Amino acid sequence: MDLDSVFSNLALGFSVALSLKNLFWCLMGAMIGTAIGVLPGVGPVATMALLLPITYFLTPEGALIMLAGIYYGAQYGGSTTAILVNLPGEASSVVTALDGYEMAKQGRAGPALAIAALGSFFAGTVATFAIVLAAPPLTKLAQQFAPADYFSLMVLGLVLAVVMASGSIVKAMGMIFLGMLLGLIGTDVNTGNTRFTFGIGDLFDGIGFVIVAMGVFGIAEIIKNLGDPERRDLVSSKIEGLMPTKEDFLRCQWPVVRGTLIGGLLGILPGGGAVLGSFASYSLEKKLSATPEKFGKGMIEGVAGPEAANNAAAQTSFIPMLTLGIPSNAVMAMMIGGMMIHGIVPGPQVMDQKPELFWGMIVSMWLGNLMLVVLNLPLIGIWVKMLLVPYRLLAIAILFFCCIGVYSLNNLWSEVLFMAFFGVLGYAFVKLGCEPAPLLLGFLLGPLMEVYMRRAMLLSRGDPMVFLQRPLSLAFLIVSAVVLILVLLPNMRKAREEAFQE
Amino acid sequence: MRTRVGQDFATGLLFIVIGVGAILTIQFYDRLPMGIPQRPGTGVLPLILSWCLVGSGGLLIIKAVLAGDTALSRFAWRPLFLVTIAIIAFGLLVDGAGLVIAMVAALTLCALGTPETRWPEFAVFLVIMLAVGVGVFVWLLGMPIPIGPVRMPDWLSVILR
Repeated sequence: MDLDSVFSNLALGFSVALSLKNLFWCLMGAMIGTAIGVLPGVGPVATMALLLPITYFLTPEGALIMLAGIYYGAQYGGSTTAILVNLPGEASSVVTALDGYEMAKQGRAGPALAIAALGSFFAGTVATFAIVLAAPPLTKLAQQFAPADYFSLMVLGLVLAVVMASGSIVKAMGMIFLGMLLGLIGTDVNTGNTRFTFGIGDLFDGIGFVIVAMGVFGIAEIIKNLGDPERRDLVSSKIEGLMPTKEDFLRCQWPVVRGTLIGGLLGILPGGGAVLGSFASYSLEKKLSATPEKFGKGMIEGVAGPEAANNAAAQTSFIPMLTLGIPSNAVMAMMIGGMMIHGIVPGPQVMDQKPELFWGMIVSMWLGNLMLVVLNLPLIGIWVKMLLVPYRLLAIAILFFCCIGVYSLNNLWSEVLFMAFFGVLGYAFVKLGCEPAPLLLGFLLGPLMEVYMRRAMLLSRGDPMVFLQRPLSLAFLIVSAVVLILVLLPNMRKAREEAFQE
Repeated sequence: MRTRVGQDFATGLLFIVIGVGAILTIQFYDRLPMGIPQRPGTGVLPLILSWCLVGSGGLLIIKAVLAGDTALSRFAWRPLFLVTIAIIAFGLLVDGAGLVIAMVAALTLCALGTPETRWPEFAVFLVIMLAVGVGVFVWLLGMPIPIGPVRMPDWLSVILR
């Protein structure tokens, strides 16, 4: 790894990201992300699904820069609501609410918000450099993958997604199988046979990813939230004295560093991402603290660590997507959806063939983080006002954006009806306690795995042992098996359940 | 609350029904070829997945019956029904009747989905949304969507024919 190429890559990235248009899309993404992060009940996945059709009108760089901005922007926005209103805007800010809201009640909302933003920015900066350093070697490695290796890597990805999903493991596995089956609907490109189409012409090309995602995430969420209206009492404590004291900074420096490391590592793993990172960081800080009993009563460390962790994880979860073309969570699945809309096949070849897209997006993530720190703190008052928009109106707006978004994909009214179907299915999953993220991963990976399985079988002349004979493939499969066995062991299972309950 | 027939049981049942349905479709409706090991046919992966789905469903049911299950909470039928109808209405109307009529129908149906709707407020909001729909999507982004009624919707002409 030579330093020159790092700098030339970064220079290329800056030249793309600093163009006026891309700066604008970066800002738009970060702002939209913050807005939906502030609002509980509207997540980044649903928002990205909504905006996917619109990104069709942008350049590929602009589209991906904006979509990425929505994701990390949501991490910033989520913490604002968590601290000020004790409502986690995003799942990853659940732990921020514990100590952040206590600080706000003690009149220290300003320092809590500032430390959350600065911690996130530090984590974002470190994680961006981690991507810059890790991406080229990983891409080199990925280019040597044979079809069998790819297949086994995807198996590993799905296994990890199952392990990281909350709730029953069998359920998560079932969701993956179901997702893969749904992904196989349509014409088989190899043989021309149609599968599960029942003669419906609009199904011959398969079901669009956006349709499934909007139905399962967007529509199902509307139905759920209209069903149990939450009380959103705005505790408008005055925010004064934004800057943390010198003591605050001293107390937070190590939690932020540790949070960045934990979050960064967990972010790479499929399935976990930001949520897991923030939980892990909080429990670590509590364990390391000299006064663990004070956690939950307004410890600034309990805000700094998890906030750094969730932002670091949000950034590093781009690594498997960018280098291998494999989504590690639902948000990355959306990013891949965004690439495919522009005809870019995700995978290791993206870095070589589209360096301006690859490096431009990475640099824009750092710029976006910077914008969020500079712009967000002064704008907090405005963001909180957004909470005054009642959900009954928000739901209607989201419904409309879903409908017109799906229709605009191909101008097919039948696809709007498909989305209605997936909305009902998604609501059923909510009621059955099934997490929808594994379904979406299976949906994306199912067709890919079939392609690689066929290639591997063709190359090996029909010998399934090929998956065990290639060392990389074997390693992936062994890790998958070990992970699966570990999780199913009784005491590990208990630990996992406790981890999710905390 | 613990019971025997709850979330896991129902999930298991759903998985089994879908899985069996898929197996029957593969073998008797689509009649997908299984191919040879060198060239696995169209039906191989779907068949494996369907069986795995049935298996997961079975495990869930066994677990629910043996170890107990989380009780199902009440379904929110009103939003479920009306939101779904709203989307279907949008899909059926947008092609022929145009964006404005489709939006009025869909958004009103959605508003009926919650008892919290305040109708004067909704009326104002509907006008704003119509302006956004026509202004941003049709004029600004140039999406090829008719604003007003242009023709009979595809589905209606199919039924009438």
